[in-house]
Amino acid sequence: MSRSKQIIGVAAFLFGVFVLVPLMIKLTGRWDFYYTLTSVALLSIASAGVWLTFYIGRINIGQGAYALVGGYVSAILVVKYGVSFWLTIPLAGLICGCLSILIGLPILRLKGVYFAMVTLVLTEVAKLTALALPITNGAKGISSIPLPGAISIFGLTIIPDFSQLASTKLAFYYLAVTLMVLSYAGLYRLVHSRIGHLCRSLQQNEELASSIGVNISYLRVIAYSVSSFLGGIAGAVFAAISQSIYPSSFQVADSINFMLNCFLGGLGYVFGPMLGTLVLYFGWDLLFTTGKFQLLIYSSLLIALMLALPNGILSLRLFNRKKAEP
Amino acid sequence: MEQIIANGLYLGSQYALIALGLTLIFALMNVLNFAHGQMYVLGGFVTYTVYAQLGLPFIVGLLASATTLAVVGALIEKFLFRPVIRKSHREESTMLLAAGIAFFLDAVILLVFGEKQRGVPKIVNGVLNWDFRIIMPYDRILICVLTIFFIAAFIGYMQYSKTGRAMRALAQDKVAAQLMGVNVARYSMIGFALGAMLAGLVGGLLVSITGVNLGMGGPTSIKAFMMVMIGGAGVISGAIAGGLILGMLESVGLSVLSQYGDITYLLIFVSLIIFLAIRPQGLMGKPWG
Amino acid sequence: MSPLLQVSAVTKRFGGLTAVNAVTFDVAEGEILSVIGPNGAGKSTLFKLISSFLRTTSGQVLFKGERISDLAPHKVAQKGIVRTFQETTIFKNMTVRDNIIVSHHLRSNASLAGYFLGTAAAKSDEAEFGRSADEILGFLGLDEIGGELASNLPQGHLRALGIAIGLATNPSVLLLDEPFAGMNHDETMRTVDLVRGVRQRGITVLLVEHDMPAVMKISDRIVVLNFGEKIAEGTPQQIQNNEKVIEAYLGSEDDAIGI
Repeated sequence: MSRSKQIIGVAAFLFGVFVLVPLMIKLTGRWDFYYTLTSVALLSIASAGVWLTFYIGRINIGQGAYALVGGYVSAILVVKYGVSFWLTIPLAGLICGCLSILIGLPILRLKGVYFAMVTLVLTEVAKLTALALPITNGAKGISSIPLPGAISIFGLTIIPDFSQLASTKLAFYYLAVTLMVLSYAGLYRLVHSRIGHLCRSLQQNEELASSIGVNISYLRVIAYSVSSFLGGIAGAVFAAISQSIYPSSFQVADSINFMLNCFLGGLGYVFGPMLGTLVLYFGWDLLFTTGKFQLLIYSSLLIALMLALPNGILSLRLFNRKKAEP
Repeated sequence: MEQIIANGLYLGSQYALIALGLTLIFALMNVLNFAHGQMYVLGGFVTYTVYAQLGLPFIVGLLASATTLAVVGALIEKFLFRPVIRKSHREESTMLLAAGIAFFLDAVILLVFGEKQRGVPKIVNGVLNWDFRIIMPYDRILICVLTIFFIAAFIGYMQYSKTGRAMRALAQDKVAAQLMGVNVARYSMIGFALGAMLAGLVGGLLVSITGVNLGMGGPTSIKAFMMVMIGGAGVISGAIAGGLILGMLESVGLSVLSQYGDITYLLIFVSLIIFLAIRPQGLMGKPWG
Repeated sequence: MSPLLQVSAVTKRFGGLTAVNAVTFDVAEGEILSVIGPNGAGKSTLFKLISSFLRTTSGQVLFKGERISDLAPHKVAQKGIVRTFQETTIFKNMTVRDNIIVSHHLRSNASLAGYFLGTAAAKSDEAEFGRSADEILGFLGLDEIGGELASNLPQGHLRALGIAIGLATNPSVLLLDEPFAGMNHDETMRTVDLVRGVRQRGITVLLVEHDMPAVMKISDRIVVLNFGEKIAEGTPQQIQNNEKVIEAYLGSEDDAIGI
């Protein structure tokens, strides 16, 4: 894979998401696609986190928990403490990252199915905690969160106040896609640096990794907290878009879906979760017209896909061309 | 006190029976069956149809549930899990498949039975009242006894039948079992069918008490996962212990913390995570690593 | 001069079973010392105790006078005592060269964040690891197969790769876990030369082994275990004529035949 080809690929992708998609939507008048694509972008950020835990050899079905925490952190900071929404995005990520260090230290010792099941339970714990705590306002959740405000530096408005905009849809789309691009760029860099190399050594044999002097529990926790960071920021932006957050905003089904996105896209490819999210979410959305058969067709397709391509969509040579692993 | 223990035993025996099916499938195939809760719900609806709709005896409903789920389980193993396990580079791929199957069963249940809560007429009337120390409807007692009977039957089957022994050998060491001439494909299918059957059986039993609705599948799966983890994955005694412990915890929690709502589950979940962090292999599981 | 590695009254019990009982010996800098013994003598357990993959019940292992037993395995590796595994333990889904490159971890100068950001230190690390990996590949005669996926290697090469991974960490002491197991005569002789080469790189070698002829050929000194206890210690010559050793090996059919 040559450097120039890579740059052309990235440029084409950026041009597509930032220019072509809005143009197409304008031409076709399908404004509802903005919501779909914004969701895909955010969910793919959370899925990227799950993918990273897969990369160190752990099956993570608990990302919903961190998305929920991220959503609540942002909502509470904005509503109760009047913090700027823009500041709450990194804060939500950081708090989730720190939280995951505390949780990860003990549970990352678990492997395989055990880790998977504990993380599954984690989503449930997050939901129940949100129901029980006073600050999260129980089942009523937090609603009517104000839209993101403006950011200006030296009087120059960089980001306009969302409530002043004619269409927040486009604004949120740009926000979500920008975050997605940044997250994946970061993930790509991580995986293709020596850290990614070390993560793969962990995935393949933890005992051997420790024998060559790798502090496996440290590296595991780092990877897990990056993963949770991504879950947190996705949740924070989600809460801002829907202007509300409830204990049921991210449930076990969402956690499972994050994992499915990764599987479907392929666990060996950085951009796998993005593609997986797109296919799963879009597929689900397109099937909406089939009414009550939506779930049946969706799940049948999922099963069929699994039978045909048990190693993910990107395992096809066709897709493999550009973004394969070194 | 007696009441709490009785409730715990009642809950725990049902949980144990669900967990047995899940742990059996896990032990044989290393598959985490996400669809276990949906199988349980399907079992409930079959009994509901046979008993409440067609007016046949309850026991016929139970048999119908067990048979239906056994067939469903066998088909799922043969046509879905087997090819995917064979072709996949990573064992975890089966998780995606299992989740897909869970969605699929949900969809089927939704189309065939609808999303309404369904109940059936009581199978026995009357309430046992022992000095106001234990108050329990007779139907619950009957269900509890039946459940314990099924657990015993299952253990007996695994212990003494040829098929049961073959499955245990397979669970212990796949390669060695294969060398001893155990037909892995065949017994994986039987095991999956048996696990699914147990889920269906519990569904059929419980429909007479709690009724059944579409939404019960997911939470049931999670509870079943927890029990299996508490006891140790793939271990029969562990599943039973896990089921009983969860039943007791719930019973105690719901009576002591009833005014705090869902905090019981929160506490159970959190303590489970702590427990597993200290003892990853569960109560009865073999240490691994 | 004090010995490099001291094993001092190390004991390991599993429940009621004493796998290793008060074993004491020293390893001098630059020597090749072998631990041998019949099956079940406690060799593997002792090996894991020294590399700290198991915790000792009592006693201790000292490296340059400093206690290393019961440290986390990666800390022991950091001090310079690195173990190898038997052949199946490699990074299977990496190329041979990548296996070696990743194993240079202990020689890193850059931090994780540095690697992420691609700092100068990270870049020079990466270049250096690449060079060193090529040198190790050459040393072990693996140059031709550097690009192969490790899972595709034949057994003999796997063993060499295991040693390569150990060398990449730049150890003071390399612990080899049955390096000759399952090898035919020619392969064994090649590996004997290899281990001597390792010592010439200034690395002290401690190996646990079954294969008597190879051990006799290669070792400066030998420690013999039986039923978890040290029954003899000395040069190959002394061990060959030691009555206790002969007795122990005759009592155990497997090894008497010289497998």
